[in-house]
Amino acid sequence: MASTATLNPVPVSQDTVDACIAWAVSRGDMVNFRFCFISYSPLRSDSTEDVSTPKYSYLRPADENDPHYREALELVQRPEIRDHVSAQLSKKGQAQLPWELVLKLADNAVRLNKMTTAAQAYELLRIRRRMMELFYVEGDRALDDNRIDDAVRAYAKATALGYDYAAFPEPLPAVPNYQTRALMMHAIYPQKPEDCIALQPPDTHLRAALGYLLSDEAAARLDSRPAPTRVAFLETLVRTLDPEWDAFAKRYHEACDMILKYGDKNKNPEQDADDGASLAEEIEKAQKERDWNAIPATLLGRPIDSGAWWQYLKELAYQHPAAPLFISRQIVSRDVEILMPRYVKNSEIVQRLGLAID
Amino acid sequence: MSDSGYINYFELLGLEAEAKPGEVRNAYKKLMKGLVGDIAQTQITPDRRDQFLLKMAQLNAGFYILRDKERRAKFAEDRARVIDLEARWREAGERGENVEALRREYDGALKHFLATYMEELILEAGRDAECVEASHWDPSHERHASRVLRHYRQRQYNEIHERLPFYEITKPVIDWDERARAAAALVASKGA
Repeated sequence: MASTATLNPVPVSQDTVDACIAWAVSRGDMVNFRFCFISYSPLRSDSTEDVSTPKYSYLRPADENDPHYREALELVQRPEIRDHVSAQLSKKGQAQLPWELVLKLADNAVRLNKMTTAAQAYELLRIRRRMMELFYVEGDRALDDNRIDDAVRAYAKATALGYDYAAFPEPLPAVPNYQTRALMMHAIYPQKPEDCIALQPPDTHLRAALGYLLSDEAAARLDSRPAPTRVAFLETLVRTLDPEWDAFAKRYHEACDMILKYGDKNKNPEQDADDGASLAEEIEKAQKERDWNAIPATLLGRPIDSGAWWQYLKELAYQHPAAPLFISRQIVSRDVEILMPRYVKNSEIVQRLGLAID
Repeated sequence: MSDSGYINYFELLGLEAEAKPGEVRNAYKKLMKGLVGDIAQTQITPDRRDQFLLKMAQLNAGFYILRDKERRAKFAEDRARVIDLEARWREAGERGENVEALRREYDGALKHFLATYMEELILEAGRDAECVEASHWDPSHERHASRVLRHYRQRQYNEIHERLPFYEITKPVIDWDERARAAAALVASKGA
């Protein structure tokens, strides 16, 4: 027969409760914040868990001198908030979170670029849509003053607060999902080269790029801005989203060089002519010499075993969100389809992003 | 008491609650004819296509539900119940009572109402012979409509929630000038 030991509640000091909650708020950590109030939280007065053990070290502040922690602690220690928190930690059932702390947590999440948490917290407060608008307005103001960096930050924050009400089973923040968006963008094979996104006229390309990297709403707001402003905005946005962009641009040049080399071989077939070989043998030899899969592998920086174009595209979009804007699908033989670089040479954005080769 | 957000098919078809099946049929055919005419005269964009699809699906559902005695009675009963539960929950909340059980009951009734009358029966109506004949509804409409209706249902759910009492958090008091300053400061700060 199993023995039953009665566990006694472990007392938890008010200072510890304040510290744990303030730390979660200052780190924009919604999971830990909710955990502090949940029915089996170690901060509850009837809990048998000891919050001072290493098991709960993640709840305790890692840096008590952090100014954002000090600010959150001050808020947590306000008498009315402290009373409310104490009451919630003593009562049975679902706790009601104090809105002041949720708001502070949301702002801290935005500061730390934890935009999923920020969107959920603003949604709880029912101010998410208006906060989005405030960030857009701030971005527009920055564009008026030609502060492109600030404008990009504001627009990026506004779009990252998007929410997908149709998500299943419950509404969720709409997270950046360039892997899927890139696939949608390249879903239809371009019947003519000019049909692909990379070879669109500069203005169309710019609009599509902003829609893809931010949202259609953000792109529409930027429509009224002069083209040079939008180009500068797009360049900053691309480099902000992808700090490794220059490494990609270098590989992009290498991939372009490979295509040019293969093109030269097509122009001068007599150089490769093999006397006495049949046409089938010549074709086979040419196919072997041209390693088409090396082109997407160069773009990505690594080969994918038996990688299809869409596998390269998904990984490329994940590593370098803007890359899918400067490539297209290309069938190179009966059963080989690859991704290859394509751009409009006189496009300003191509020049500014360092993609054009001399 | 608020009834907005809970679709009213009588209102949609411009009918009184006592309307006879014949009146339901006439109203439906007239509205559907007008809608098909509008579609023919409009340049279709993805947004407009979704709007027309939703409107057509709602008219089909209105006709499908209201022409049948049992379905009509069940619809009226479910709709009255969800409206009543919302009102009771609101009143209890204002009196400061423990409203958790009532909130759960209301939430269940709301989800049931939205799923049944703003999605399931709408799709079912699209397979009804009379609706198909009048609206030329086909499987491709249904494929698109599934997505449109899911968005529509969730949007309604969210809109209804916006006006309900706060229960997960205390009722916020937002100072929008302070929020504008906070947004400016967050944009100016370059991260952690």
